[in-house]
Amino acid sequence: MTLADGALVSRRAVLKQLALAVTSASSGVFNLEAARVVHALAREERQTGGYELKVLTSSEFATVSRLAELIVPADAGGGSGVDAGAAEFIDLLCSQNDVLVDIYQRGLRWLDAMMRRRTGTRFLDASEVDQTELLDALVEAGRSVGASELTAGVEFFDWVRRMTVDAYYTSPIGMADPQYQGNAVLTRFEVPQEALRFVARRIEEL
Amino acid sequence: MNWPVSYEDIAPYYDKAEALIGVTGSHEGIRSAPDGVFLDPPPPKAHELLIKAASERLGIPCIPNRRAILTRPLNGRPACHYCGQCGRGCRTASNYSSSQVQIFPAMETGRLRVIDRAMAREIVTDGNGQVTDVIYIDTTTGQERRLRCRVLVLAASACESARILLNSKTSEFPNGVANSSGVVGRFLMDTVGYGLSARLPSLERMPRYNSDGAGGAHLYMPWWDWDRQQALGFPRGYHIEIGGGYRMPGIGSFAGVARESGYGVDLKRRARREFGTTVSFEGRGEMIPNNASYCEIDPDTVDRWGIPVLRFRFQWSDYERDQARHMAETFRALIGTMGGVVREPSARDASGISVGGSIIHEVGTARMGKDPRNSVLNGFCQAHDVPNLFVCDGASFVGNPDKNPTLTINALAWRASEYMAEEMRRGNL
Repeated sequence: MTLADGALVSRRAVLKQLALAVTSASSGVFNLEAARVVHALAREERQTGGYELKVLTSSEFATVSRLAELIVPADAGGGSGVDAGAAEFIDLLCSQNDVLVDIYQRGLRWLDAMMRRRTGTRFLDASEVDQTELLDALVEAGRSVGASELTAGVEFFDWVRRMTVDAYYTSPIGMADPQYQGNAVLTRFEVPQEALRFVARRIEEL
Repeated sequence: MNWPVSYEDIAPYYDKAEALIGVTGSHEGIRSAPDGVFLDPPPPKAHELLIKAASERLGIPCIPNRRAILTRPLNGRPACHYCGQCGRGCRTASNYSSSQVQIFPAMETGRLRVIDRAMAREIVTDGNGQVTDVIYIDTTTGQERRLRCRVLVLAASACESARILLNSKTSEFPNGVANSSGVVGRFLMDTVGYGLSARLPSLERMPRYNSDGAGGAHLYMPWWDWDRQQALGFPRGYHIEIGGGYRMPGIGSFAGVARESGYGVDLKRRARREFGTTVSFEGRGEMIPNNASYCEIDPDTVDRWGIPVLRFRFQWSDYERDQARHMAETFRALIGTMGGVVREPSARDASGISVGGSIIHEVGTARMGKDPRNSVLNGFCQAHDVPNLFVCDGASFVGNPDKNPTLTINALAWRASEYMAEEMRRGNL
């Protein structure tokens, strides 16, 4: 699934393949190029009159955006999941995979219902403290064994978190965040002296 | 059953193939990994130096990797520019591919005509043990076409070559062309695979650098324990491929970090801290051919061109499972030596062995041998039954050593080509 000069595989086809792959059993680290294609599709729309929602409603999109901001917040070392286009990334992938749309629609309904039970408002309208309390509860429940009333939410949060993290770290700002320096043209390969000195100390400690 | 050719027969052709395609390496005198014609290898990556130290502590040699990537210009192809994107196809042909290194130059001679988008369906023989034609489908029109041939070289990859032979049923060859032995499709092999990765906390806070290098690993571990075969309980051996470094983030790269750190600023800090601290070990071992692993024509299914497809049966034996277990123990020992934290695999199988076919080294479906009763080809990749038919892909393999098959396919094909040219000059073909 490479994108040769002749664009043998259309970008839409790449989007579709990645969308289907994320809900298949065998997903691991794969297809760097596909993620870049999804980012490019969203970026082009943003630059030409704004991103048009594909399957999520504007309210669902807003909630996904809020989740993306909470999962990957901006900090001194880099931007947020929203800055990286995580919500568009998720909407684009959902648009090509019915299983995924269902996961998001049911999950977001669950999130709103749970927040209403806890605070009387939908997730988006709750305070940041209430939002993080719910997410903390989901993380906590995810770490404990056995089902609870939060199980459906735990599974959904795992999806949003995974896809937000994927969207962020495959975006230009996300790649720069952990200081990835590769994919560059070099005339020769060498390891810098400071890295060699570092690893020499680690070898002494073996 | 043994190969009808010795290593000494093939060694000069390994050298020729290496000189043509360009292979990095170093002269080590290691029995399981014979030396050849090598380009200078690139220097080890930082994490590889740590792995090498751990490896040598355990008595496992860790040497420059042998890879078909140019570290200096060769045969009109420029040296690697270390972009690390080998998997996308190398535009400068610094990373070997048959299309760029063999087919395009052959086309430039003006003596090769390529008929693309052609799907070979069957081979036609003359009733006297000679190929006369190939029937193929022009996939742009769906039309059936015929091509006359003096000599036919099949190199469609091991399984597809077997499929073409098995689909070519004539009164002379009721079980498929060149298949009087019944061995076509049998003794299908893949490489034995087992992998384990780990996080090395000791690599945290290493000064960042561009570790892409020549795509994959710059070092590897050849098989070392050939003197202890009895004690080990399995024949033959494996090599270890290593992974690690500051790799381009992709889908799933930080899935583990995300799961372990909850969300928020903690997640980002952890991603920064742990980036580049994962190393992986992939064992690649020799499979012993067995009669329960084979491909055959599926009587019920055809492809979109109406050509019957293959169906497969594949079975590892205890040889392979024991070998995979040895890989697991070795990798845990390596990781333990470095103070690493194993990323526990989600087990597919109690032994964790790869699914047959997943290492995509399928070979052995038209094996060579001295005896036409139990082999398809002779040592020159020439069909015993059909002298003007050669099979020059991995189908000819009698065993599947732990090496990646391409260099051996190249060497055997080169040797077969010289033989074929000589036989043509003599008027035998």
